[in-house]
Amino acid sequence: MAYIVPSSPETLADRELYTRSRLVEVACLDCLVRVKVRKNSDHHTSIQWNQEAGDCATFAELSRREGGRPVHQACPRLLASIEAAVREGVVPIGAGVDPIETSDG
Amino acid sequence: MTETRTLDTGSVPERFARGWHCLGLERDFTDGKPHAVQAFGGKLVVWADSQGELHVLDGYCRHMGGDLTQGTVKGDEVACPFHDWRWGGDGKCKAIPYARRVPLRARTHRYESVVRNGQLLIWHDPEGSEADLEALPPVLEGVGTDKYTEWTWNVIPVENAHCREIIDNVVDMAHFFYIHFAFPTNFRNVFEGDKATQFMESTGRPDMKAQGYGDEDLILKSEATYYGPSYMINWLDTDYKGFLTKVILINCHVPTGPNSFNLQYGLVVEKPEGVDEETADYIGRRYAEMFGEGFMQDVNIWLNKAPVQNPLLCEEDGPVYQLRRWYEQFYVDKADIEPEMVERFEFEVDTTKANENWRAEVAENLARKEAEDREAEKAKA
Repeated sequence: MAYIVPSSPETLADRELYTRSRLVEVACLDCLVRVKVRKNSDHHTSIQWNQEAGDCATFAELSRREGGRPVHQACPRLLASIEAAVREGVVPIGAGVDPIETSDG
Repeated sequence: MTETRTLDTGSVPERFARGWHCLGLERDFTDGKPHAVQAFGGKLVVWADSQGELHVLDGYCRHMGGDLTQGTVKGDEVACPFHDWRWGGDGKCKAIPYARRVPLRARTHRYESVVRNGQLLIWHDPEGSEADLEALPPVLEGVGTDKYTEWTWNVIPVENAHCREIIDNVVDMAHFFYIHFAFPTNFRNVFEGDKATQFMESTGRPDMKAQGYGDEDLILKSEATYYGPSYMINWLDTDYKGFLTKVILINCHVPTGPNSFNLQYGLVVEKPEGVDEETADYIGRRYAEMFGEGFMQDVNIWLNKAPVQNPLLCEEDGPVYQLRRWYEQFYVDKADIEPEMVERFEFEVDTTKANENWRAEVAENLARKEAEDREAEKAKA
C-alpha cells in the first residue's frame, strides 16, 4: 500500500504536527458553521472544515448562482467571526507548530 | 541539542492516479493515422474513426503484441502492422482478414475518452471503474470561438521525477520569487473534494526586468485549480499600465512511468479589443514562450532535487502536508478515501515578512547593478 504515502513513523508524526496541532474551534457568528482554525500571525490563517462543520450559507448562495468558477474563496462572514475570536483571545496568534526551544533544553 | 534531520525519500509509487488525464489537443489526432502516447507505464494508441471521433486503446495488439501505433487506420478501426487484426474503439477485435472468425476473447483495454475544450481526456482507474463524468474539468465558455486565440500546445518530458513535484507547486509561495522571479503579494489555497486551488496576486521583479520578467507595474492575478490529479486550469489576468490581458493556461501531465511524466501546457488568450488576429496570435505565442521558460525553471529543480516525504516547513510556507493529503485520494482505492483527504481546507500565507525582505533584496540588486553599470561606463570613457 506504500504509494506515495509517508513511510516512516517520524514522517507520520510530522504530518500530524502540521495538519492537526494547535487547531482551535471557531463557530461562524452568522450561520453557526464550526471550523478548526490556526493563526501563526495576523495575516496567516489556516481553516480546516470537516463533515460536522455544517453548511456555509454564503457558499450555498454562491453555488446557486449561474456561472462563476466552482471553487469558493474564504467566506467573508466566517473570516469576520475568526477575527472576532482572535480579539476575544479564543484563537491565539503566533508560534507555528514547531516545538519551542526551552532554556534548559 | 537538536538532532539533524534526514530526508525520508519514500518509496516509488506502485500505481498511477485515478482520474481524467489529458493526452493533448484533439486537432493533433485527427489526421487519419494512429498516434502513440506514453502513459501509465505503457503505450496507448489514439486514432480518429471515419466520423472523426477519437478512440484510445492500449498500444499493443492482444494477438502477438504488435505495436498498434505503427499500424494503420482502416475504416473505423486501427489495424495491427503485424497480422492486420482490426481493433474497434470499443476495444473489441472486429476482424482478422485471414481468419474464419474472431475469437470471443479478443478484447483489449480501452480508455473512456471525452473531448472537452478542444482537448482529449481519458479516464484512468487501476480499479477499472466507469468514467466519472462529474469529475471532468469545466467547459470553458468562449474557448474555440473567435473570442480566443487557438490553443498553443507543448510537451516537456520529465524523465526522473514523480509528478507530485508539480502538484507541490500549488502551495509553494516562495518559489515564485526564487525560481520564477515574481513577487507574490497575496497567496491563498483552498482544497475541497477533488479540487485544489491556488489564488495568487503578484507583480514582476524590477531587478529582473532586463531578463523579461516585467517590473512592479506588471500586476498578475492568478487563479489555478486542479480538477483531479493531473489537470489544472489557470486563469491569469495581467494588468500592465492599464493594458489588460486574459490568459487561460492549461497545466497538465500524464505519468509515463513510476518516476517520470510528460508535462504538457497550452494556452489561449482572450483577443483584446481592437487587436487584429495576427497580433493576438503573437501575444499568445509570447505567453507560451514565457510559461515554457517558467516550466523549464521548475523542471531543472526537479531533475536535481531529492524526493522528500517529510518536508521541514517554516511559518511562511504553504500547506504542503494538507495538499499531499488531498493528493493521496487519487492513489488509494475509492473505498479507502478518508474524509480528511476531501474535506474543505483553506489557508492564507502571510507574505508580509517575505515582501519586506524581498524588497530589500531587490533594492540591493538594483543598487549593485547601477554601480556596475557606472563602472563599465567609466572604463569605456
